[in-house]
Amino acid sequence: MAYSETTPRRTEVLVAEGLQKSYGPRMALRGLSFVLKAGRLLGFLGPNGAGKTTSIRILTTIMEPDAGNFTVDGISHEYPDQIRRRIGVLPESFGLPKQMTGIEYLTYFGQLYGRTASDARAVGMELLEEVGLKQRARSLVSTYSHGMRQRIGIARALVNDPVVVFLDEPTIGLDPRGQQELLGLVQQIAEERSAGVILCSHLLPEVESVCDDVVIMSSGECVASGTVADVIGRTEQNMMRIRVPPESLEDAQRELGTIAAVRQVLPASGMPGWLRVELDEAAAADPFVNNRVLDTLLRAEIPVLSFEPEGGRLQDVFLQLTAGGIK
Amino acid sequence: MSLADDRSPAPRAAPVWRIVFWRELRDHWVGGKALVMILIYTLLLGIYAYLFASNSELQLLPLKEVVLEIVKAAVFVGLFICLIVGADSVSGERERATLEGLLLTPTSRRQIIVGKFLSALSLWPATLMIAIPYWVVLSKGDPVLRPAVLWGPVMGTLLAPAFAGIGMLASIWSNSNKASMLVSIGLYLLMILPSEYSGLATTTVGAQSTGLSDLFQLVNPLGASSRLLHESIMADAPSSRLWLWMTSPILLPAIVLAVLFVYAGPSLQLEVGMRRLRVRPT
Repeated sequence: MAYSETTPRRTEVLVAEGLQKSYGPRMALRGLSFVLKAGRLLGFLGPNGAGKTTSIRILTTIMEPDAGNFTVDGISHEYPDQIRRRIGVLPESFGLPKQMTGIEYLTYFGQLYGRTASDARAVGMELLEEVGLKQRARSLVSTYSHGMRQRIGIARALVNDPVVVFLDEPTIGLDPRGQQELLGLVQQIAEERSAGVILCSHLLPEVESVCDDVVIMSSGECVASGTVADVIGRTEQNMMRIRVPPESLEDAQRELGTIAAVRQVLPASGMPGWLRVELDEAAAADPFVNNRVLDTLLRAEIPVLSFEPEGGRLQDVFLQLTAGGIK
Repeated sequence: MSLADDRSPAPRAAPVWRIVFWRELRDHWVGGKALVMILIYTLLLGIYAYLFASNSELQLLPLKEVVLEIVKAAVFVGLFICLIVGADSVSGERERATLEGLLLTPTSRRQIIVGKFLSALSLWPATLMIAIPYWVVLSKGDPVLRPAVLWGPVMGTLLAPAFAGIGMLASIWSNSNKASMLVSIGLYLLMILPSEYSGLATTTVGAQSTGLSDLFQLVNPLGASSRLLHESIMADAPSSRLWLWMTSPILLPAIVLAVLFVYAGPSLQLEVGMRRLRVRPT
């Protein structure tokens, strides 16, 4: 499909269908399909080696798929130059030239997207303001902090007013406040620019809090996709975690084992002081089962330091699905 | 708004090659890489010239040979600098993770390569400007200066694009700067060492050079340049005798630039080995 400048922006800004890619005998991507709508933020998740980078490289036209196809704003992947005009990308690791100031850097990229020098400079200043770097516009980018480098990377991804923005691990290496601020900026981009944003991240609680949709990859396959709420709702919810003082662990394990609805109680792996309580499938549907579990501990005078029903968070879904426990 | 204003054309964006060229030029010259190379070049040339001047005063070398050696040194080291800068141009960006951003723009990869090529070439005129005063001083007003300032720049200007291009080809086809540099330096040594050995043989035994040795020098662009400079400076040979030695120095840049701009440049990828994107005309 050829692109026309007069084509209005579509609701579905990115449609991927059956994308496949292999490196020699190894299949890196096995039929990835999903849809991204304008103004939506899509979390693109998966453990290391799941095929996220390959997917992003294909969708950003750096690499060609072996099979399948995708469109950006209705433009087929067979027109990579036209797609590049409509996307903005912040790669996971990107370098900055040593001898350029922030505004020079954005002006340079603006010119590469076909703007005149003065237009590119004006757009660059607007973007620096948008990402909170206006005060450092004339500082060399080599003097920027890590957070500032991520911000100017995002600004660069926006110089062409893209329809789809790809952000690969934008919060990596940032402190908690920096992560929060950057995610706020990412949300703002999706909302105010009506752009579809694909956010690759390992920070699952943050993805859960800011994203509308999610795609979870595992071993080159898409194991879940949909709205965050839908995907979370698909997981097993017959488990809970309880944290008690270390000296009470054995007592708590014994007391909880006496409850009829409890199948087994085990120390939670990798979480010292926590017990993992597995319930019968029938008991999982009982809305009062959590109360009964807590009541048992309270009657035995065992202090409950923390309590979490398992399966109600994106992190639980991620761990279940990427461990092969697909329901 | 006046009618004239209505008719004035909208400002046009600069061509990509020019944008990349200016950025690269600035990176080389303001960033210091080119300045450092030029400084080293100047020092080497100064030491080399001093040694030859001292030897000349001791009557160990005739003036013509002093001029020949300093011209060859200036040209061949200048070519080496173009090669090294070219060898860093793409693989260096791969290593510094700045290439992906460039390839994600809707720009012609050929134009990116043209911009980088021209900026790599920018060091050649600078080396020439530094070298010529040495030639003038060392020739001490002798007529040997005329063929030196004519053929030195001619051969260098012919070969500089070739060596910058060879460096860039190695860079485009290497994932690391180390590999790119090693390949480039290896190729340079392959060309310069035989040419220098032949040069020594020519210098010492002159007329005894064999047909096979001539053939090797003819096909080796540096050997041919060396021989041409020898013939023009030492023997003051007429132009008609020199054309033969210009064959490979003319062919090499033609071949290298054709491969660079027609094949390697347009198929530039983020990583070596990635399949070339099929692009349909819009």
